[in-house]
Amino acid sequence: MYRTSRRGLIKSTAALTLGAAALNRSVSHSSAQEKTTIRYGWWGGAERQANYTRALEAFEAQNPDIDVEPEPAEYAAFQERMTTQIPAGNVAELFWIASPQVLTYAANDLYRPLDTVPTLDLSDYDAALLDSFRLSGNLNTMPFAIFAPVFRFNETFATEAGLTVPDASSPDWTWDALAQLLIDYSANNPSGRRGTAYNAHADLPFEAWLRQRGEQLWTEEGTAGFTVDSVAAWFDWWENLRRAGAALSLSEQDGPSADWQLIGDTVLANMGNSNHIVDDSRSFPDYTFRQRAMPLMPGAPEGHKYLYTPRIAMYQGIEENKVEAAARLMNYNVNNTEFVRTTGMSLGAPVNPRVRQEMLAFASPAETEMLTFVEAETAATRNPRFEAPPGSNTWRDVMALAIEEIANEQSTVMEAAQRMIDDINAEIERAR
Amino acid sequence: MTDTLVQDTQPAPATTSSTTFEWQRKRPRTLLKHAVLSLFLLVMVYPLIWMVVSSFKPGYLVLTEPGLIPSALTFDNYTEGWTALNRPFTRFFFNSTLISAGSIIGNLFSCSLAAYALARLNFRARKFYFAVTLASVMLPFHVLVIPQYVFFNEVGLVNTFYPLLLPKFLATDAFFIFLMVQFVRTIPRDLDRAAMVDGANFFRIFWDIILPLMRPALVTTTIFTFIWTWNDFFVPLIYLTSTDLYTVPLALNLLVDSESQTGVGRLFAMSLLSLVPILVVFLVAQRYLIRGIATTGLK
Amino acid sequence: MATTVEKTPQPETRQRYRPERQDGVAHVFMTPWLLGFVLITALPLFASLYLAFTDYDILSPPEFIGFENFTRMVDDDRFWSAISVTLRYVVFSVPLQLGFALLLAVLLDRGLSGLAFYRGGYYLPSLLGTSVAVAVLWRQLFGHDGLVNLALGQFGIEMDSWLQNPDTALSTLIILNVWTFGSPMVIFLAGLRQIPYDLYEAARVDGAGLLRQFFNITIPLLTPIIFFNLILQTIGAFQTFNQAYIISGGTGGPVDSTLFYTLYIYRQAFLSYDMGYASALAWVLMLAIALVTAIHFLLSRYWVFYGDD
Repeated sequence: MYRTSRRGLIKSTAALTLGAAALNRSVSHSSAQEKTTIRYGWWGGAERQANYTRALEAFEAQNPDIDVEPEPAEYAAFQERMTTQIPAGNVAELFWIASPQVLTYAANDLYRPLDTVPTLDLSDYDAALLDSFRLSGNLNTMPFAIFAPVFRFNETFATEAGLTVPDASSPDWTWDALAQLLIDYSANNPSGRRGTAYNAHADLPFEAWLRQRGEQLWTEEGTAGFTVDSVAAWFDWWENLRRAGAALSLSEQDGPSADWQLIGDTVLANMGNSNHIVDDSRSFPDYTFRQRAMPLMPGAPEGHKYLYTPRIAMYQGIEENKVEAAARLMNYNVNNTEFVRTTGMSLGAPVNPRVRQEMLAFASPAETEMLTFVEAETAATRNPRFEAPPGSNTWRDVMALAIEEIANEQSTVMEAAQRMIDDINAEIERAR
Repeated sequence: MTDTLVQDTQPAPATTSSTTFEWQRKRPRTLLKHAVLSLFLLVMVYPLIWMVVSSFKPGYLVLTEPGLIPSALTFDNYTEGWTALNRPFTRFFFNSTLISAGSIIGNLFSCSLAAYALARLNFRARKFYFAVTLASVMLPFHVLVIPQYVFFNEVGLVNTFYPLLLPKFLATDAFFIFLMVQFVRTIPRDLDRAAMVDGANFFRIFWDIILPLMRPALVTTTIFTFIWTWNDFFVPLIYLTSTDLYTVPLALNLLVDSESQTGVGRLFAMSLLSLVPILVVFLVAQRYLIRGIATTGLK
Repeated sequence: MATTVEKTPQPETRQRYRPERQDGVAHVFMTPWLLGFVLITALPLFASLYLAFTDYDILSPPEFIGFENFTRMVDDDRFWSAISVTLRYVVFSVPLQLGFALLLAVLLDRGLSGLAFYRGGYYLPSLLGTSVAVAVLWRQLFGHDGLVNLALGQFGIEMDSWLQNPDTALSTLIILNVWTFGSPMVIFLAGLRQIPYDLYEAARVDGAGLLRQFFNITIPLLTPIIFFNLILQTIGAFQTFNQAYIISGGTGGPVDSTLFYTLYIYRQAFLSYDMGYASALAWVLMLAIALVTAIHFLLSRYWVFYGDD
């Protein structure tokens, strides 16, 4: 009995080894004839994976000489994979760059310059816009979506409570007035809802807060551009809401970054990124969501507004004979309305002004809300904004730690703010 | 015998002839044992039961309805989850099965050879090899992964199954070597010596005596190799970049970062389906966890 | 009893015979292992040892800096806090998990109907052990409105989320580990199969009670397997990563209360791009584990009995 099973074992070993070899061959060679293979790496979930794969297949249909190899992964997994691929020199020809890595990768020469690539059409972008894409003077990444900090609220809940949220242009739209509005809502609404999630950890609103105080998140020299006072004031603003019962506790929202699906039904508002409305509103199809620009601080300097753009790049180590094809794909990605229609706008409004305009015709109500908001924001004057320097990758975790310390009363707001800045600067210093 | 722990205060009857009497005496005890085991089992698997029930709830109810009784039922999580990734999960299940099966064969083959040598043969570097085997389990994986990746990239095997399978055929899973060594060492050496007297060489001894007698260890290796390979995330993530080669955990991970609320239901549904093969393998394999020595060895 | 003494190997009855060396044939058996060692294990092992003495940010070439990475640990608060978290976890979770596993393995060994059902059932949680779905599951149990708090609420006890409280978050991970006791249980089950049944028969003839059979036959003959589980579960506990990563989303929060040592290594390597420091940390951990394992091996002489002595 043992003998037969062992012989079977050997047979199946052989069969499997051959099978695996055959499979590998079929996968890697089936479509390789005469085609240029372009690997395209991005992060995101199931839905984005499905949409992007469809969009890339459409591109392949129009470009029969190109074979696109999609390489999707969830955000953290995507970065882990990149980190492993970089030292081996085996990076996808086109890849997205998470914002904390933009300058880290630039410093290590990972991007191929784009202004000399013939098949990337830049005619839709005016000179000023193109200049805003440059990293220390070089056009080596393409922003492909825009978002900005927003105050988003559930209009259905507001109407139920007979509440009007002031317009962003109104003089009443200040941080103090907003705090009062949220506190009043929490005290008076019959369903026991809170004013807002505890969004002290939301990076875009935090940066808006800093810029309104005349500071920045990152300086041009690549250091933290904010003071202890501003950070402490930010934490205080949220702690004030929480103590007044107008914001959820970390326990209720499961950590510094609230899980929207868990809390969406229990709060009037959520501060965050303008693109989130697209997916978040779909989680609660019965409600209408609206968004406003950040409330204003008295005396906020001109040009405090800013935009945030995820970027795509071409790998510096790309084989020369693939550059043209890769650029064609990048071009399709950033300049083609059809592509954006297929992939959706979960990452924000298109950067290309023409595509943004054209997308209005196909947008859902939530997407329209986002597009009009971004359109207005792009019209505003903006002081320059600097990308996150090398070594800043963990800054949001450092911030989460400070928030948790405050929430658990392990340190005062001032101590936590001071430590946060020290830790962030120490990490940046180490990366130099 | 059966109630080793429950029936611990009384000595067992010296004779086994009065079976009826014994059965009647033991019946309440057996029932009690069943009751205790079942109750405890219920506590242990409650989270899983909740997960099963939740996977049949419409997405929006999964997180908001804590109880077990669902207010609405649907199969959507399964049907939609299966195709959520633009490629049906069939593909990922196929890949995972292939990799797991290959890994099992690799581990059984290579680890048993090494374990036999380490446990039974007398050779110079034995202690050193054994120490190195153990040491390789001790170093955290995260600092090894990049050099390993660079190696497989240099030999052009990235984005194939080889970086996942080759190490198994080369006995790099020290856990199983150690496991098998421990099992081989419980087998009396008299058996080897007897065979040696009969003129068997080491390969005969390994094949005809040791391998059959260490069957529990081989079954255990099969079970664990299967579950660990099946659930492994990091290694496939790094080596398999093409969606066609994705394994089930890689696909599941894409479901986590879901944009809409239906995501959790799908994640649950697909996670549960991914448990089915490992559960089946376990249930089949555990039947082969039969007595090695007494029934086959000392005939 | 007499049988037990006779068949249970005792150190003093060990035969001292010296067979000739079998270097050649041994290396034939070890060929796959040797190839694997040279090709797959050794290179990364030595690479990481070298990197431990360098400043290496992954993106640019490493720079030799001597012992700087090691001296840096002394003043690194998070390093010490990670050690404390990991040690507490090892000390609590390993004995609890092994105790459960052994108890259930003995109960589910034989002589009861429906054993396959019970084994499968008790093994189920460990199948899910490191799945990404566990994060949602654990929140549903230990979160603010989780099952545990709902139950406590029945008794008028109001609790916040166990996962968000730095004092309790680690305990939920220990519970998670104990919950997945299936793996050592299966190894124990396999080990129980390795005990010759006639030993029990003989003991029963001699009138040994169940408790005595358990302590005089089961436990001594199972010691190689108990030893194996102890070593491997200890090493595994020192290296706990997946559970902490999944439950805390990779941060080790709240307030670093679940920042396990390997999670810290991962964060240094993959988030701070400090592979040099991460490698140094890894080698310190390896030496610590080696020390603990060596102590286990030394002590094993006094309590582990092999059939091949």
